[in-house]
Order: sequence, then C-alpha cells, then structure tokens
Amino acid sequence: MRNYEIMFIVSPEATEEDIDKINGQIEGVITAGGGKAEKIEKLGKRRLAYIVKKFREGAYVLFTLQGDGAIIREVERRLRVMDLVFKYLTVNMDGAMKRLDKIKAHRQKRAAHRSRARNEGSERRQPAPAAEQMPEE
Amino acid sequence: MAIQKQYYRRKKVCKFCVERIDNINYKDVKLLSQFVPERAKIMPRRISGVCTPHQRLLSDAIKKARNIALLPFATE
Repeated sequence: MRNYEIMFIVSPEATEEDIDKINGQIEGVITAGGGKAEKIEKLGKRRLAYIVKKFREGAYVLFTLQGDGAIIREVERRLRVMDLVFKYLTVNMDGAMKRLDKIKAHRQKRAAHRSRARNEGSERRQPAPAAEQMPEE
Repeated sequence: MAIQKQYYRRKKVCKFCVERIDNINYKDVKLLSQFVPERAKIMPRRISGVCTPHQRLLSDAIKKARNIALLPFATE
C-alpha cells in the first residue's frame, strides 16, 4: 500500500451534484480495490493557468488515498473516460513524507542536543549557526 | 592599470533553508509563484540563491503544478 494524491479538474459547467457523483464513483473504485480514500477535498473553482478544453476555469478536487498500482490504474482510466474531467495528476506521496519525517527527526535530535548542552554549561555556549544544513537525501 | 570594479554583493541565501520551509508542495501556488517570473520560466539558482537540494524539489513541484494548470507553461 502506498500513499497517493490524485488531483483532478472538473469542468466549470458541472454542478455540485455532478462533482459529488464523480467523487462517489472514484471512492467506490478505491474501496472496491481494497484501498482507502482518506480525504476528499473539493477545492472549489479556480482560474486555470492556461486554457484547457477552451475553458479558463475549473473546479479542483483532491483525493488523498492509500492503494496500490491496480487501483491507481483503474481510477485514472475512469477519470480519462469521464467527459467532465479535464485533467488529473497522481502523485506518490511516500518519498515526500519520508523526507519530511527525516527532517523532523533531525530537528528534534538537534533541539535535544542543544538543550542538553545548555544545561551542562551555559558559559561555553556558541551562537547557533544562522542557516541549518539539510540532511543528505 | 585596469580599474577594478568593486561591487558589494550581498550573499544570497536559500529561502527554504533560512525560513525552514520543509514541504515544497505542488499545491502551494503562492510559494511556487515566487520562483516563476513573468515568462513563467523556473528561476535559476544563480538569481534566486536557492540551494541545490531545494532547487531540485522546487523545480519538481513547479513542473507538477504546471501539469494540473496551477501554474502556466508560458505566458500567453
């Protein structure tokens, strides 16, 4: 199981019910495949950065889900077939999440280290460096 | 004798390192648009001062945002 985000753009002419219907279908596909739709966000209408299918606007929807490749394939196929959906983007979030966790752990370790140093002897303390180095990826 | 031009150039710093922005996400248009100037190109490191690991994450995020029409590929 992997964590994914699927964002797609629905036509601005679609009604609220249309969008709900699409969301229901996609959620059905995910749960049928043994995945889990963790979050469904309707981000509302936004101006598009460029013209897509002769429209300048679109309604954005964001799915956060857990699943595997077969689910993603099926969801993407469904999205391609739907006339109201203009565009979609699937992003695997595992790499980014792992990176964030690593940085967080690194920060905590440093903070713990710093507070320990402070308790031991404050007179020898050096000013903290201005910019923190990134941990190696 | 050649006249040496002396400029004082402020050292550029990486915005993401200084402000400790960990999460460079394709959805964060407000953040990303700071690094796409008028022609909608990705701002080079030599101008923005972003460090290499962050520039890599940044350019990936901008490219994803372009794909989903959050950012333009080129200005019209």
